[in-house]
Amino acid sequence: MNTGIRLILCLLLSFLWLGTAYASDDKVGSCMQQVLYPQNDEMRAQALSALASLKPSSSVLRFLEAVNSNSLYLYKDKAVTLGSKKRNGAEDVYLIYQLYPEQMVLLDADAQPLMLPVTALQQVQISRPHRLLLAPLSSWIGIFSMDPQKRTMAYGQVRAVSDTMLINALPLALENETDASALRAGKEAWYALRLNNAASAQTAKLLIDSLETNGGDNATARLRAYAKKAGVPQEAAVYASAKADKLDNHYAWLQRVQHLFSGISLGSILILVSLGLAIVYGLAGIINMAHGEFLMIGAYATYCTEMLFSNVLHVQNSNWFFITALPVSFIAAGLMGLFLEWLIIRRLYARPLESLLATWGVSLVLIQTARTIFGDLTAVKLPDMLAGGWQVSPHLVLPYNRIFIILLTIVVVVALYGMLFRTRIGMQIRAVTQNRSMSACLGIDTRRVDAFTFFIGAGLAGLAGCAMTLIGNVVPDMGQTYIVDSFLVVVTGGVGKLIGTITAGLGIGIFSKVLEALFQAVYGKVLILLLIMIYMQFKPRGLFPDKGRIAEE
Amino acid sequence: MPDKSSKLVTLLFVLFFAIVLPAGHLMGIVSINTISLWGRYCCFAIAALGIDLIWGYTGIMSMCQAFFFCLGGYCMGMHLLLKATALQGQELPDFMVWNNFSSLPAFWQPFHGFVPAVVLALLVPAVIAFVIGFFVFRSRIKGVYMAIITQAFALGMYLLFLRNETKLGGTNGLTNFKAVLGFDLSSSNTKLALYFATVAMLCISYILCRKMMASKFGKVLQAIRDSEPRVGYTAYRVLNYKLAVFVVAAVLAGLAGMLYVPQTGIITPGRMSVTSSVEMLMWVALGGRGKLKGAIIGALLVNCLYSLCTSLFPEGWLFVLGVLYILTVLYFDKGFTGLFDKFAALLRSRRKAVVEGVPSPHAENTRVSHPAMARSSEGN
Repeated sequence: MNTGIRLILCLLLSFLWLGTAYASDDKVGSCMQQVLYPQNDEMRAQALSALASLKPSSSVLRFLEAVNSNSLYLYKDKAVTLGSKKRNGAEDVYLIYQLYPEQMVLLDADAQPLMLPVTALQQVQISRPHRLLLAPLSSWIGIFSMDPQKRTMAYGQVRAVSDTMLINALPLALENETDASALRAGKEAWYALRLNNAASAQTAKLLIDSLETNGGDNATARLRAYAKKAGVPQEAAVYASAKADKLDNHYAWLQRVQHLFSGISLGSILILVSLGLAIVYGLAGIINMAHGEFLMIGAYATYCTEMLFSNVLHVQNSNWFFITALPVSFIAAGLMGLFLEWLIIRRLYARPLESLLATWGVSLVLIQTARTIFGDLTAVKLPDMLAGGWQVSPHLVLPYNRIFIILLTIVVVVALYGMLFRTRIGMQIRAVTQNRSMSACLGIDTRRVDAFTFFIGAGLAGLAGCAMTLIGNVVPDMGQTYIVDSFLVVVTGGVGKLIGTITAGLGIGIFSKVLEALFQAVYGKVLILLLIMIYMQFKPRGLFPDKGRIAEE
Repeated sequence: MPDKSSKLVTLLFVLFFAIVLPAGHLMGIVSINTISLWGRYCCFAIAALGIDLIWGYTGIMSMCQAFFFCLGGYCMGMHLLLKATALQGQELPDFMVWNNFSSLPAFWQPFHGFVPAVVLALLVPAVIAFVIGFFVFRSRIKGVYMAIITQAFALGMYLLFLRNETKLGGTNGLTNFKAVLGFDLSSSNTKLALYFATVAMLCISYILCRKMMASKFGKVLQAIRDSEPRVGYTAYRVLNYKLAVFVVAAVLAGLAGMLYVPQTGIITPGRMSVTSSVEMLMWVALGGRGKLKGAIIGALLVNCLYSLCTSLFPEGWLFVLGVLYILTVLYFDKGFTGLFDKFAALLRSRRKAVVEGVPSPHAENTRVSHPAMARSSEGN
């Protein structure tokens, strides 16, 4: 009986195919209706099978994909499925795409796309055996998902096989493709599919060229697979593997650019942390081991600002808290620095080794305090404006947060230079750095200059801490990770020399990332330490040593 | 007078550790774990002696002593682990089996024997210290630079030892030792013997260090601390002296590590972290720099305090340690022994005043208070 009904259905279907489009739509509609509100399980199974055997159309395939991935929902009696996900406060909301009766993105009252959480929808329960009816399609049906990410993945997984259904469906999916990266992956799959079925070497070459210019993620893998395939014309296979090599080479270059970029980004962080250390050491001969803890204070200040904005002031836009956090972290760390300077550090001027021990003690106390207050691990939300990245090319994305850190460093360096060389207090700082007693004789209040410098130094570390929340967690001992590195920067650059600190920071940052890429991360680190030690053999006083009589001190 | 009383104190000190504590154990008052604990503290005291030589007497702040300590420890640990593996009838230590090693790495081979292991535990730190010291001192890196370079070196080595590829057990280090020279490590007699060995080594090291510092060699070291250029001008080879004391300090640290491992039963890279090196410096600073007794007292005291604090209020230990660091540097420049001396001097002058009936001024303040002088004495 079952087969009988199927036979009738098939006949009906073939008849409908031959009939008008309207008639076909009508059939589709009734099948979908049957899937949504089945009279019984049997009818639903038949309707599904019928839909699957129809001539492919994007509306039907989208519907089937929703069934297959178990994401078919009812919303106001209409069949809908989920589009791309967004995070709104505590819950995830989705773009809602209507599948039946019409196909469209649902809009809200302001004609903006409607965003709903899953809980607002009623799921259409389709049992596993029913979904298994779609098994022949399931290897590629994901390309009709409404979520661009899922589509991209599904395209990537399309294997080059001669499945007529797929060959008919893929152009349909590409026709309606809107997302750039999904389109690239889709085109790649399409070219690979055609390449596999290419009749002549000439066509194959054209398709290989298309694959190359398209620049998809799996292009090299697909080309190599093609080159290895049996029965491929020799000429085309050689051409394909040559192109694959070329692409690999290109990607390797992009990789290098990426390493360089992360090196510069690491370097800027090091510079940001080391600047404060360098001016304080140059001025007062203090090795401030607690400098990393000012960074930690800045990070926690950012965290507190976020808490304040989201929990007390209820500001939804996450950009504002970060903009506020920049000055807040600077001032919080600076004030803490001022307090410590007054309490402890001013007693240690010009006793670098002892200041090292005492400030180590300070850092232990600060770390334990932070741990007691905030616990072991917290994180700050990435502000919306810094999420994502600048897509230079499909395979080179420079994250906005890293770019922001680099820009911040440039601004800070320029501002610091301006302060030191264009203002009165800057001149006083330079004077005290050069000769403390002479400056005091000439009427400079050295105590005030010391305190101010320490405020600036600690504040810069706080700012670095604020920036660090963009790329990592906020933990009590986050400062310790950077302290040894930043001391190396100061030492390599030449103590108390801003230009040295900047050069050394950038140099060490870039070198570390490049070495880490060449070797493993740890060996890269060990190598850079060795390199610095060797370098110190030739330049024991750093890149830009003092000359003349000051040097003898 | 002070010489006599200080000798008496030393004697009492030795008597306490060599006789009273073990006797207490035999009478059942002191548990074997306490004895073992003090044995470990004595190991730290040996390392502290080395730090005092290089920092207190020569004025070089080396921040990689914990690394040398661990080198000694690892050498002994490798030997013990090989023995334990052999006792269990296995071919390879457990961690090597887990990491799919097919055979024992070549550099593990010499550690089958006890004597080679002991020799290597002293030799390896010495050679590494010699190489590092040679390059660092040759390029006249000193003061803060020296501290930071050695710290960076210690950090690098720490990271290296954390890796499994180093073939030294990675983060977990070496553990599961069974016996040393055929004696069961878990038996209390072995523990007592190890304790005696440690105390004896501490005494011997102390005497040797004292002799060394009283000799011309020691005097030159102190001269280097006070004014390196002047020592150089008087045609002494400063490099050689610094190198020698750096190597001696490393050997002492290695010796300490070697004695430490059988008593603790584990050695991990955590022992050589940057923090541990700074902590070791703190023992000496707290006990009294430039005094061998100070180093020993500092090491024993801080570790004793550590055990006390972590058992009473574990959260507070870092607070206590941090505040101790700050207070020591700010107010007790000469550490506990300095405080003790000051106190003794005060008492003496009081007594004298009573005897002679003349009010006396306070005892002479020996502390160097002028920053410039302090700076030169740091060898900046």
